[in-house]
Amino acid sequence: MSDIFEFNGAKGSGWSQPEPMKEDAINTVPTSLRRSNLPRWPRASEPELVRHYTLLSQRNFGIDTGFYPLGSCTMKHNPRINERVVQLPGIDRIHPLQPEHQIQGLLSIYYEMQEMLAICAGMDEVTLQPVAGAQGEFTAIRCIQEYHRRNGDVQRDKVIVPDSAHGTNPASAAMCGYEIVEIPSGEDGRLDLDALRAAVGDDTAAMMITNPSTLGIFEPEIAEAAEIVHAAGGQMYYDGANFNAILGKTDPGRMGFDAVHYNLHKTFSQPHGGGGPGSGPIGVKAHLADFLPSPIADREEAADGGATGDGYRYFWRTPTDSIGKVQQWHGNAGAVVRAWAYYRRYGRELELMSEHAVLNANYLRHQIMNPTQEQLNSIHSMPVDGAPADFVKHEFTLSMMPLKETTGVTGKDIAKRLLDYGYMSPTLYFPMIVPECLMIEPTETESREVLDKFASDFLTILSEDPEVVQSAPHDTDVRRVDEVLAARSLVLRKQFDD
Amino acid sequence: MDQLPNLGREQEMLDSMGLKSIDDLFSDIPEGVRRVDRLPLREPQSEEEIWADAQHLLGANIDLDSRPSFLSAGLARNFVPTMVPMLATRGEFLTSYTPYQPEVSQGMLQAMWEFQTMVSELVGLPVSNVSMYDASTAAAEAITCAVRVKGRKATQKGVVYVSQFVPPHRLSVIENYTQGVGIELRTLEHDSNGRVNLEAASSAEGACAVYVEQPNAFGELDEGITRLKEIIGENTALIVGVDAVSLGIVEAPGNYGADIVVGEGQPFGIGPTAGGPIYGLFACKKDYLRLMPGRIVGKTLDEDGKDAFTLTLSTREQHIRRHRATSNICSNETLIALMGAMHMALLGPEGLERLALRVAATTEIAKQAICGINGVELVDPDTPNFREFAVKLPSDASDAVTHMDAAGVLGGFPMGEWWDSMSSCLLIGCDERTTKSDIDALVSALSAWVEEVSA
Ligand SMILES: Cc1ncc(COP(=O)(O)O)c(C=O)c1O
Repeated sequence: MSDIFEFNGAKGSGWSQPEPMKEDAINTVPTSLRRSNLPRWPRASEPELVRHYTLLSQRNFGIDTGFYPLGSCTMKHNPRINERVVQLPGIDRIHPLQPEHQIQGLLSIYYEMQEMLAICAGMDEVTLQPVAGAQGEFTAIRCIQEYHRRNGDVQRDKVIVPDSAHGTNPASAAMCGYEIVEIPSGEDGRLDLDALRAAVGDDTAAMMITNPSTLGIFEPEIAEAAEIVHAAGGQMYYDGANFNAILGKTDPGRMGFDAVHYNLHKTFSQPHGGGGPGSGPIGVKAHLADFLPSPIADREEAADGGATGDGYRYFWRTPTDSIGKVQQWHGNAGAVVRAWAYYRRYGRELELMSEHAVLNANYLRHQIMNPTQEQLNSIHSMPVDGAPADFVKHEFTLSMMPLKETTGVTGKDIAKRLLDYGYMSPTLYFPMIVPECLMIEPTETESREVLDKFASDFLTILSEDPEVVQSAPHDTDVRRVDEVLAARSLVLRKQFDD
Repeated sequence: MDQLPNLGREQEMLDSMGLKSIDDLFSDIPEGVRRVDRLPLREPQSEEEIWADAQHLLGANIDLDSRPSFLSAGLARNFVPTMVPMLATRGEFLTSYTPYQPEVSQGMLQAMWEFQTMVSELVGLPVSNVSMYDASTAAAEAITCAVRVKGRKATQKGVVYVSQFVPPHRLSVIENYTQGVGIELRTLEHDSNGRVNLEAASSAEGACAVYVEQPNAFGELDEGITRLKEIIGENTALIVGVDAVSLGIVEAPGNYGADIVVGEGQPFGIGPTAGGPIYGLFACKKDYLRLMPGRIVGKTLDEDGKDAFTLTLSTREQHIRRHRATSNICSNETLIALMGAMHMALLGPEGLERLALRVAATTEIAKQAICGINGVELVDPDTPNFREFAVKLPSDASDAVTHMDAAGVLGGFPMGEWWDSMSSCLLIGCDERTTKSDIDALVSALSAWVEEVSA
């Protein structure tokens, strides 16, 4: 079976449903508006489709399959209780517009998550509405935009991002209408305060930055950077994709940030599902809170003890100068509930999660960068650190440039060769400031044994025959895929013969 | 804590790095910004305790299936085949990331390519992406996409006409996505019978785009929309927002000239889930392909000449194009789209038609029954409806909803929450699972209230 459209059972076959309650229901559609031809969907039975999708799943690599050190994406284990919880009718069968008294449990979970996230990030108010990190960025920049407008600061039309920033940062700011000013990182890959000083002015609306940076290192001068931006009248935005490195150790509030997004699908283990769903709540300081999207969960004391028995009645509240909506409903509620279940497991010990994420990253970096003499003798060229630092946080970058220079083997070749060893490849060629970059994030849910084995396999690859590596992968489902042909021929759907 | 394999073995690992304690690893955080106190949060819980609390809290919610429910307003109280969540939550799908390494991700890539094909067939347009966040961001980004494509030739620079009857919560998203980038939204007027005013529509000629919904916010089907493309012309994009299920019996917008079709994918694949995660459909003509948002899967070959799938046209996207990207979207709703694909495949063409007929049937039966109540009138009496219809009540509709709620019926959506002028209007939504006894319960609860307020 090459694809699902080859299931071609008898007309009308497929999943059975009751009859329509009325025979002539088609007459409710004016004749000129009736559909002329039904879509050419497959005609398949349940057993055929169960097998089809089972086979497809077996041709897909997930965290459950093996080690997934995809930097910046935080591919940690997804506890299964989270999936069980969202199957409960009290979330699956809930409409977002139900009267408040019917969804007190959901509202209480929203309230708990808003509070918890605010505490963790040192922010004053949180909305759970944005459904991905990028949408969180967009939402926060919209709030900042309205804040400047309210202050009459309409000339602030620029957003500053470091050249190591994730692509969504400049893209999100541009979607709000901002011009992007990219500032170069210093020699050491860190934020360059002089470059920042030169970039700020009375046209600065905001600076967007993540800390630890995309190189996995903590920006020691972050508070000074915030002072520079604030002195110029700009706002500081924290990209929370890397928040899992520092939770409980410091927070964006202390660093001087005014707004932050959280990636619940990274830090709080909402599964990535092949590309989504995510959830990208944002937290803000009090001066931005009036602008948050509507509604947010709030509560008041309830004389009758409340529907959940915690003494409160919960309700939706619209912030006074709300920007309105960025998603039609209350965001990805299912993702919020999963993240809630995850949070409950750690509670006040969330800091342990960060400690182990950082321990694992440093350990793996140490194992890779300190080969035995024997290993070293057979390695063509060792990688170099993307940024010099005694310690990294939750991830680290390696430049494969020396290997490329001596053997022609690229970072991409290494990435593909790792697939043969049963690993997902690290993030490739990001951040762009590190040549031939591999970005490695082991996460806290990998054992020491897995890290040891990965380090040893990685070093083995560095000593392999360059031709073997360059022609990798060899043992995967398909061999190296022709992406140029895909972009040239553009076969974006099935073509039917009839 | 059962999630950390290295718990209790920290010291061995630190020793091998020549470090004393975990604190060493955080010594690069300057003292001035370091947190000294512990997080003021609750005690950790075991899985059993979490499950108990989840049951308690979520059990305090009243779910749609526990009573007659007529609340739709853009989401469907559907029935998702059992196979769908079972297969979609297989770990290989559930715990994978965006398929950047196609050699080990053929399963999800192929499933998404099949999804693209099914969506393309559903709406009658050649190209589909692998999902937007929801119907609202799909509509918003369809508009920004159309402006990019049609902007140069447009005589009304940056102007987009949006139907008067797009629900405000969706319009608000559209406004947020268009406000900063030089787009002017103008209202496309409707007639008093709810239909698009085609004369007014002719003033949209030369604008970048027109956005309408079929059915509109009142669940009304409008034949006039099939003539819109003729009226606005080739240089103005026609964007149609759809109820995906309706397309089992209502013409695919691609067949009446739509350039882009968007909509809520949720009825296929997942329950209403308190509004998310759901997924937005986005399909378009070929001319929009290079400037459209979102991920796209293409079919190609591997080195050995074997069929293979891969993400393609990535140069539109933020990770390459940065601030010049066609969208900031990165994580999308792939897993929910996968669930949608499974559901669509299970239905098959005739199953889709039957599903649409079932919804059409319950909508019509409920409509007739409600019209039988003295003092209750349809807002637009001569208009065909799908899934939803709006009625005018003798008094405030939110009061009616409260009253029916006390009688154990979720009677619909009070439209005053959307438009002040419609505070006496109730939006009643039906679906394939609405039963005769649900409708009886609605009629009796609403009649009782009408009698009380009319007395
Ligand atoms: C550093 C960084 N910022 C922002 C994002 C965007 O998040 P999302 O994919 O949830 O939109 C990502 C995720 O890939 C990221 O790694």
